[in-house]
Amino acid sequence: MTKLVRLIDQKRCMGCRACIAACATENHFTPDAPWNVMVEYEVGTYPKVKKVFNTMNCMHCEHPSCKMACDRVGAKAISKNAFGVVTIDYEKCIGCGYCASVCPYGVPQLNKTIAQLSPGKEKLGAENLDYADRHPTHRKKSNTAEKCTFCTHKLEQAVADGKVDRIGKDQAYTPSCDLVCPTQARMFGDLDDPNSDISKRIKETGAKQLKTKFGNSPQVYYVLEEGAVS
Amino acid sequence: MKLARRGFIQGMGALGAAAGVSLDAVAQAVKTAKPVAKGKAAPRAPLEVKHIKSRCSICPNFCAIQGNVVNGVIKTIYPDAEGVEVYNHGICPKGVSGMYNTYDPFRLKKPMKRTNPKKGPNEDPGFVEISWDEAFELVASRLAKIHADNPSKLVFQWGQGKYLIGDAFMKAFLSAYGSPNGTHRTTTCEAARHVADELTWGYHGHIPDLKYTNLLFNFGSNYHEGEQSSRWLDWATAQGRERGLKVVVIEPRLSNCAAKADEWVPMRPGKDVVLILAICKQLIDAGTIDEEFLTTMTNSPQLVGADGHVVMDKDGKTPLVWDAVTNAAVAYTENVKPTLKGSFTVDGKPVRTAFTVFADGLKTITPQYAEEITGVPAADVVRLAATFGKEARIGEFKEVDGVKLRYRPVAAYTFRGLAAKEFGVQSSRSALILNSLVGAIDSVGGLLLGHVNNHPDYLEPAKCEYPPKRADMQMSVFHPNSHHNIAQQSNITILDPKSWGLEYEPEMQMFYGTNRPMATSNSWEQFEGMTKTFNVVIDILLTETAWYGDIVLPDKTYLESWHNSPCKTNPEMTGIVSIRQPMANPYNLEHDATSILFELSKRLGLRDKYLTACNKTWGLKGIVFQTGRDYTPREMVEVMWTSKTKKDFSYALEHGFTAKKKDVKGKYLHGVEHVFKGPGKPKFKLYADHMIGTFEKVEKTVKANNITRIDLAKYKIAYSPLPTPDHAQPTPHREAKDYPFYLVTHKLMHRYQSGNTVNNVITNQALGHDLDTNYVVMNVVAAKAMGVKTGDKVVVETRVGKTTGIAKAVQGVHPETVAISFHYGQWSKGYSPAAKQGTWINGVLELHPDIPSGMNSFNDTKCKVYKA
Repeated sequence: MTKLVRLIDQKRCMGCRACIAACATENHFTPDAPWNVMVEYEVGTYPKVKKVFNTMNCMHCEHPSCKMACDRVGAKAISKNAFGVVTIDYEKCIGCGYCASVCPYGVPQLNKTIAQLSPGKEKLGAENLDYADRHPTHRKKSNTAEKCTFCTHKLEQAVADGKVDRIGKDQAYTPSCDLVCPTQARMFGDLDDPNSDISKRIKETGAKQLKTKFGNSPQVYYVLEEGAVS
Repeated sequence: MKLARRGFIQGMGALGAAAGVSLDAVAQAVKTAKPVAKGKAAPRAPLEVKHIKSRCSICPNFCAIQGNVVNGVIKTIYPDAEGVEVYNHGICPKGVSGMYNTYDPFRLKKPMKRTNPKKGPNEDPGFVEISWDEAFELVASRLAKIHADNPSKLVFQWGQGKYLIGDAFMKAFLSAYGSPNGTHRTTTCEAARHVADELTWGYHGHIPDLKYTNLLFNFGSNYHEGEQSSRWLDWATAQGRERGLKVVVIEPRLSNCAAKADEWVPMRPGKDVVLILAICKQLIDAGTIDEEFLTTMTNSPQLVGADGHVVMDKDGKTPLVWDAVTNAAVAYTENVKPTLKGSFTVDGKPVRTAFTVFADGLKTITPQYAEEITGVPAADVVRLAATFGKEARIGEFKEVDGVKLRYRPVAAYTFRGLAAKEFGVQSSRSALILNSLVGAIDSVGGLLLGHVNNHPDYLEPAKCEYPPKRADMQMSVFHPNSHHNIAQQSNITILDPKSWGLEYEPEMQMFYGTNRPMATSNSWEQFEGMTKTFNVVIDILLTETAWYGDIVLPDKTYLESWHNSPCKTNPEMTGIVSIRQPMANPYNLEHDATSILFELSKRLGLRDKYLTACNKTWGLKGIVFQTGRDYTPREMVEVMWTSKTKKDFSYALEHGFTAKKKDVKGKYLHGVEHVFKGPGKPKFKLYADHMIGTFEKVEKTVKANNITRIDLAKYKIAYSPLPTPDHAQPTPHREAKDYPFYLVTHKLMHRYQSGNTVNNVITNQALGHDLDTNYVVMNVVAAKAMGVKTGDKVVVETRVGKTTGIAKAVQGVHPETVAISFHYGQWSKGYSPAAKQGTWINGVLELHPDIPSGMNSFNDTKCKVYKA
């Protein structure tokens, strides 16, 4: 089996937000519906102060609350595939917003209006790419929930190219947030392979999942900065 | 460039539809998925996908990038995987989203001319679009007129333009034209640090050997939020810390560097030199110094007379040392054993070794004194010094690739935060001296220097030119060691050229890729200067500088144009040559600065002279630009690539660059070990005796020419051969007694200085609303005492003027300090509303340039803060 997980090392993260910009350009960001966010905060009291830089995309939980809520309301728009990737089918989403309400991590974004990046001006850059030429997860719709997909369009391409073993290694098959980090604070790979770089790294760093009390069992692990709240 | 036609598989939604679906089923679904066909819609053509290797040019990291272009649109920018071994492992948010500096509805697309002759922030220029032909005719005719009169009356200023096409083209243009007035931005960056290097070891540029450094003291280097070499420094420090590197950041604000450090030492702004000298004293008192290094590679043993000059041999040029063998003052030749410390008599006159002069000068700089001045507790000063001395491992060696090398795995590293001050040179020199005390120069784990003694004239008294030839006063009596132009000076000189001794009045300025006034201090003086000249501005946006333009010419961005790009490497690599190649041209722009300069040179009848000058400024040999023909930008880049690499241009198009690995000798043994070590060689100048010589020249020139602008007492302090506590007291600290807060400025990772990134829709909207504005950052205790809370609108008042901003009360700033970033508060109409948010601080910063280097001071101002 292949269980794709992400590792974010807060000790290495310098808070530059390149990963957030990468997600935005890769995934056709529309205003006020980011799929990757930075939560930064101080810990300590002057002069003993540090800062925590915590980026959060979707946790792609093993027991996703969003999917449970979506199934319960009958929309069944949220699914989890063989890699563990949790995705939203925009055609099935009814825009109820329950997924956003129940997620312990505040991940799903109910995108009320698909606004242009530069309102009142021309479309810019990738906004000009026709919806029909985009991956379904990039065909944003108003009043529809959307969120990080682990760049599933790249993972699917890896499958199509017979390069599943290159996921997390080759840029074409790695979520964009994980490949731009200047300090290599992020990794992506197969946790089901004990010899994978990410499996070894999670083990050697003792990386943790966040908010485990909710029982979601997220597929994102964090090396916590000194003073960070898990 | 790689081209792929990828049959994009629409209808991939089926892929995730079934929960728990197996991988085989996923693969099958992908392979068999068909395009979604609605009604009688035609099948979609496969996407055209190109992967283009190039260089980012937003900042002087020049990261290797790969642009992924889908159907002609730059969709994403990744770090170039081939570039990892050479420099950058990733790219910053500006680089990631750099295509949105290209895709910007506010871009300049056509040449414009001004119809309202009045210039001011509230004067609408009345720009009208004109054709390129008319634009060239207007510019060339004016240039021709000035050329016939006095070519020096043209001033050409650039900033980011150097990163876009390299300053060699501008220098060549000016050389062909006959004007000396070309000015880059370095004095708004870190010029004082370069000059400190140059006055100490004869060239500039140093970087810590982070593969092996165990302890890094960081004074004012902010690689996690800005600055040169940061794309390697940020990775190397993260990597090093996992290996055991300890990072101590000494600065007034909890920068992102301080946030990641093992220790943040808050300190009053501008007082670094006192802390560093106090640490030096502790090391000397404890005997934790590398005597071998100091004796054989620095001028520490040279004998200094009561007048401060080094005592010379009968030839007048060879410095004397005290020989421990013969007990006499002799030249340092074979078999002489120089004495490091002591006082002696030579020809009946008292002398001391330069080292003793330095040590004697530190007597009063006790930990307690340092605490009083810097705010750093005395116990911490003692501890930091002891740690630095211990970790320096003086006397140890390490074998690297079979070569036994000095092992001194500590480095005191500095950058702009330390240098951008009235005493930037002396402050930066103090850190170089600290490193030299323990021998952590060109050692394994220490500070690695650039081309040592590449400019031996920097170790001699400066020229002190008067009357000045250049409008920016470079190398003049006013700033004798301003080796890197003086960015902010031309607009000041233009206001009253005669008072500076300039024998002509500049009439025309060209500005390329620079928003000069916005990026200096006391900025309104800069704008005033621009009202006196006919201004031609080449840029991508209607910046504030363009607002004062008479002719505005649209430029291409770095993603639209060709260049033989500058690059950075990590300490293990060398010999890099790189190109930049265009990925798109969405607005169908006809020209970039390369072709603009070429066309102007043609219209002036200077084309061949320009091409000959280009060969010289680009250092081309063998394969060169030929006269008698035109060149497109691509053709020029091809000539430069093949000349420098002897490789076919197809290699450049496919890989973007070439580089090679340094061997261990190249890394450690070609610097001070080769150039300075031992008898009869020049020396690393711990004691910069030549600065006294420069001051004496200044004094003589001032008196001979009755120059009233120069306060000799100030110049004497600035030209001290050693850093002293005087260099911790810039003018505002001494004079602005009613202004209780120190005001510091800093960069941020998601924007850049010139104003050419501030319209970026991704960095403005996707990174988080906490970045919508910058803030007046204050310590929570200080804010509370004033009744100020986060979110309050406050006034920041300096002796120059007032501005307003939104307060943010934090733990992470020294209580006596207010920190306001750059990059916000643009006011030109050429910007989006997002760019206009926040506080533009430069307009209220006091300007007291560093006297030797001309460095613009950014971090010396004092201010009041109160609720609006």
